Amino acid sequence: MRMQSLPAVLLACSALFTACGRPTEYPITQQPQPFSSMNEDMPGVAPPVTETVTSERIARARSEPQNWLTYYGDYSGQRYSTLNQVNTTNVASLRPAWIFQTGVIGLVANPATYSFEAAPIVVDGVMFVSGWDGYVWALDAAKGKLLWTYRHAIPLDVPMCCGNVNRGVAVAQGKVFVVTQNGHIVALDAKTGKQIWQQVFADVRAAESATLAPLVVKNLVIVGSSGAEYGVRGHIDAFNLEDGRRVWRRYNVPKPGEPGFDSWPATGQAWARGGGTAWITGTYDPELDLLYWGTGNPSPDFDGSVRAGNNLYTSSVVALDPDDGSLRWHYQWTPHDVWDYDGVNENILLDKDGRKLLTHFDKNGYLFVLDRTNGALVSANKFGRVTWGEIDSRTGTVTVQKTPTPAGTHICPGPAGLKEWPHAAYSPRTGLLYTPVVELCGTFKLKPSKFEEGMPYWGGDVDLDKEHWGHVKAFDPSTGREVWSWRGQHPIVASILATAGDVIFTGEPNGNFNAFDARNGTLLWQFNTGSGIHSNPVTYSVQGKQYVAVPTGWGGWVEGYSPEMYGAPRGNSLVVFALP
Amino acid sequence: MRSTLRTGQWFLFGVILAISGCDYVRLLRPSVLKQLNPDVVRMVNMLPAVDHPNEAIVGRLFAHGGLSHAKLGSDGVFRDKIWIPENEFIWKPAIIHIPRGGEIELEFHNTDGNLHAALVPSQQERQAMMLPMHTAGKVKIRLDAPGLYFFGCPIANHAGRGMLGLIMVGGEVPAEARLDRPRQERP
Repeated sequence: MRMQSLPAVLLACSALFTACGRPTEYPITQQPQPFSSMNEDMPGVAPPVTETVTSERIARARSEPQNWLTYYGDYSGQRYSTLNQVNTTNVASLRPAWIFQTGVIGLVANPATYSFEAAPIVVDGVMFVSGWDGYVWALDAAKGKLLWTYRHAIPLDVPMCCGNVNRGVAVAQGKVFVVTQNGHIVALDAKTGKQIWQQVFADVRAAESATLAPLVVKNLVIVGSSGAEYGVRGHIDAFNLEDGRRVWRRYNVPKPGEPGFDSWPATGQAWARGGGTAWITGTYDPELDLLYWGTGNPSPDFDGSVRAGNNLYTSSVVALDPDDGSLRWHYQWTPHDVWDYDGVNENILLDKDGRKLLTHFDKNGYLFVLDRTNGALVSANKFGRVTWGEIDSRTGTVTVQKTPTPAGTHICPGPAGLKEWPHAAYSPRTGLLYTPVVELCGTFKLKPSKFEEGMPYWGGDVDLDKEHWGHVKAFDPSTGREVWSWRGQHPIVASILATAGDVIFTGEPNGNFNAFDARNGTLLWQFNTGSGIHSNPVTYSVQGKQYVAVPTGWGGWVEGYSPEMYGAPRGNSLVVFALP
Repeated sequence: MRSTLRTGQWFLFGVILAISGCDYVRLLRPSVLKQLNPDVVRMVNMLPAVDHPNEAIVGRLFAHGGLSHAKLGSDGVFRDKIWIPENEFIWKPAIIHIPRGGEIELEFHNTDGNLHAALVPSQQERQAMMLPMHTAGKVKIRLDAPGLYFFGCPIANHAGRGMLGLIMVGGEVPAEARLDRPRQERP
């Protein structure tokens, strides 16, 4: 009997080996290496150009026009360069000097939406630029040669509102600072690209993320959170730039007992999910020692019924003490925002008519001018089609006319705003502000959402019109009046660059990079870069030669700001122009 | 008749003994069974007909090679081993789980008769390692934050045919990065 059972036991043992046995192992002979080091053309080292970059030097950035030292070019946010080698008479001769591109290898997070949105930073012939998916590159600014690469590992499942994007780096004291899509602030050695320190400032499990360029002020590097489409509580954070020590965090939505809480429901947790993220870099006045930072939409975006009140400090500008983040004053562009109009757009600081002004093209369609010492309204004027409400230019009183409804209400502008985040510019030579314009309206539908941490929390949706177009417009900040306008076939969603050559530059969704006469809006030159432009062109010079650089790479929240260009070619190139 | 029964009992005993040490028996756990909703059952029934090279599709389905929990060493480094089986175009295991961010050392063994490579995510920079046939190598990486990270074979279209893998990093962000608000309900 036992002998008869033996084959069955042997069979079972054989099953054990086939089902659970481990396959062959080999001796360890293969060695890994960093992917980018498999490029003998990349030295892995950049000249030590950032050691002497300090907050004091950034405060005088326009006195060294060969460089683009900070996100907006200087602290004022004017995006103006005093370089004038390229001017209205010779701009038509601009030619590509070099192109940098990397392509995509392997899977990346949010692959349908990656987009090249950065403002390149240039210091004494070295360019530092960030890309999607954790990339930072150092390049020879005259030749385009890649000097070093950093790539942060970004999870595939990182929660992002809109696009796998990054808007640029900051530099100071030998370091390059960048935020990552999953909410880290990283300091790199500017000579080698090696990580020096990192801190986490956003909670991916609450669907926070980060996309903005950091801002260096004094001994701090300052950043803000993204994610108000997920019911987060937005904040601005400051770190010691030397060692990454946390210095302060300021929430843009007060909790019970804090000033401003009376603009939220007294009971429940609307404040805890109230949005108000800070996803665009702020500006800074070193004389007043005030930091001006825009705050995003309240959450949920379109359903105001769960958050009765003005919802401070969302869709606002907050003027902060940079040393501790305390609030000096605020101005709310859109009280009780139910249109996703945000308030994050740049606050351009300029002095005019003997006043220290702050100018701001809001997504809600109004050009605001404030006294930046105290936040008092100087004027508010429409700069395109606006039907959601009226703002009294003298008093700032808001009269709401149209809100989302369950059946849908047609409202202008759409949720991308009359101007999306890409930045306006100001030329002290012409005394004019220049802004990109998105003419796109939509039907706003209200549909209450249940809040669950980490999940979208919109409270509705918007059907955008088929008809859309764009403008580049010039405004006189003294009067708030339009001086000239150039109409483009598609919404304009690239930042404006103003120069002392009286040429302004911007791009279009079809890839055209355009130069205009700053005085009258005449189109002077155009170059097709091959992919839509949703980025920040900058200018700089090396050994006396002026360059104009523009990242191209269509993507991001295209369905929101240019739905009729959703299928346009994507890309990931940095194109740099110079005169022959 | 009696001896046939006894033989059958022995066989059953042997099979139970054989499988008790491996994953088949774990399929019977209640926590697994309760996930067998009709969609999953349909998919599992369909797999034998589609999930081999040149069956219904040319390649294999994502993450076919299964999941492994990397082991934490006394030096604080997580470790795991990944094989490339012969003629399958998969990583086995294809999903590596670690409960929190940190350093991970992955040992790759290529038992296939073709050249492969591993492109593995890491802070600072991805690591790349060639794996000629019948070779092995170790990659030490660092992943600091929770989430799913892709690794793959960048040779030819091996990734598209099934050599896609994931490293799952669990855990929460540091306490100081979390929002100051009451605990919120999660899906």
